[in-house]
Amino acid sequence: MMPNYYQHYCPVKILSGSHAVSNIPYELETLGCSRAMVVTDKGVAGAGLLTIVREAFSDASCTIGCIFDKTPVDSSNHVVNELAGLFIENGCDCFVAVGGGSVIDTAKGANIVVSEGTDDILKLQGNEVIRKELLPMIAVPTTSGTGSEVTKVAVIYNEDMKVKMSFVSDKLYSKVAVLDPRMTMTVPPRITAATGMDVLTHAIEAYTCLQKNPIDDIFARAAIELVRKYLIRAVEEGRDEEARLAMANASLFAGIAFSNSMVGMVHSLAHACGGVCHIPHGIANAILLPFVLEYNLDSIPQYISEIAPMLGGSAFNGEPKQGALNTIALVRGMLDKLRVISGLPIRLSEAGVPEDKLPDIARAGINDGSLVFNPVEADYDDALGVLKRAF
Amino acid sequence: MSPWAEREKAPMIDPIRKTLLAIRSLPFYPAFQTRVKYLTIDAILSFFGPAFEAVSSRVPEIKGELAQWEDGRRFAVGVLPDGPFITLEKRGDMVYYLGKGLHEPEISMLFKNLDAAIPVFVGIHGSFKAFAENRVLVKGNLAHTMEVNRIVNIVNAYLFPALVHHRVLKRPPRFTLAQTFTKARVYGGLIPAVIRHMI
Repeated sequence: MMPNYYQHYCPVKILSGSHAVSNIPYELETLGCSRAMVVTDKGVAGAGLLTIVREAFSDASCTIGCIFDKTPVDSSNHVVNELAGLFIENGCDCFVAVGGGSVIDTAKGANIVVSEGTDDILKLQGNEVIRKELLPMIAVPTTSGTGSEVTKVAVIYNEDMKVKMSFVSDKLYSKVAVLDPRMTMTVPPRITAATGMDVLTHAIEAYTCLQKNPIDDIFARAAIELVRKYLIRAVEEGRDEEARLAMANASLFAGIAFSNSMVGMVHSLAHACGGVCHIPHGIANAILLPFVLEYNLDSIPQYISEIAPMLGGSAFNGEPKQGALNTIALVRGMLDKLRVISGLPIRLSEAGVPEDKLPDIARAGINDGSLVFNPVEADYDDALGVLKRAF
Repeated sequence: MSPWAEREKAPMIDPIRKTLLAIRSLPFYPAFQTRVKYLTIDAILSFFGPAFEAVSSRVPEIKGELAQWEDGRRFAVGVLPDGPFITLEKRGDMVYYLGKGLHEPEISMLFKNLDAAIPVFVGIHGSFKAFAENRVLVKGNLAHTMEVNRIVNIVNAYLFPALVHHRVLKRPPRFTLAQTFTKARVYGGLIPAVIRHMI
């Protein structure tokens, strides 16, 4: 069905494939930059991935001004403010974020602080609040999950309030997204599985939530089909370059889709799981996805039903609700397989969420902005009901 | 004969439509139309502010939501770029209407233009659809915005007749007898609340 109105925007240049990282200095010079702040985390540095980036800069006129490798698992307001200070101190003029969603979002957050000339990221919370043009940023994802390299969203953890905050603006897009299979080869199977399910969740929510539109449906479909073909392969054989690149592309496609179509209740509860219990985002999404699809089933059976063929099931010509149940069964089948081959938890209890924290998660979940885009209304009792079923 | 020529030859079936087209082509019409839209929204917001106060003073669900808010939290609703706007403030266990304009709100929910705001304010569709269609700009803490959004939904449920609930709310409420009685009390308190703010 055609929406009454929709918007689509993605101004990111995409470099995908073998030795894509080598093109970063050229792209930065084209953007008029000369001194890059490389943002990463200890895991990426420890896996030797920074060497690949350093090698790329070895014969370029653009240099690395500073490397920041202290990004935590959940990007926080204090780290963002610290990074912005270092950026200014080192005379840098652009960001190169090498890492997962937290790293890329931290760089986006610091970019907001530096470009807006403020001292605290919290002053610029909200939707489309940023007014100034941000400095150029190149994103090099090292996990195939968040899609943050092509989204207009930065999720930053507020350490003081213990909640994840969303910053949304068209100015938050990176200038360039670099997908190089070498950068995701070292991701362990369990994280590959969790981030892959994150991709699937982005794509499915983009395809089924209120802001769905024909352009982003195309990206969501492509992402779901790539996940179906390559996720298990990437988990089973991490050195499979084709599977890694395909999953990186799936992540990017899903990122484009959900950056415009937005996400729904899976994400609102997953953000809350992260905020309250520090459950990794991909794992929380993976666990909650089938339960939220069940919750939304009566409202959008047709859209959920249409996903079955993309996941390798047969197209269902009967009642849409039966087709939708088929889709949910296919998602559960994929989760069961990932559980066997990678140890991915498929229940909140297995992921380490204490039962007495479920009310706190529900309370935080209904205050998450993603919930606005969920096709079905959800209050505290509804959110708690879904969490209890997923426990 | 080209299709255009055929169209020109076709008799004008609807003279009212022809007159309206003629009015719309008058040079002053766009400015006039904008003014009418502005005044319509201004009138609705002038009613909505006191109505918000009336609902929040009588509805237990709102008081439950407000219990989580800090005192003095202000939020505004309005239309970009030049209004109209209204600002409301939480004090105690209810929401007070501070009047027209932006009075240092912590949270602002601003429609991008008059055309985006009209369908929401006249009950053609709900604010959730305006959000889904990117027609609303939100400034401030998004978690607090969600809290505001929830009480706006409760207010809408008590203000709008059940007939339009399916259009303005994602999940139309099923009122109990006690809630229906509260709704009657809200309706009873609306006119005095509006008059009080007009004086």
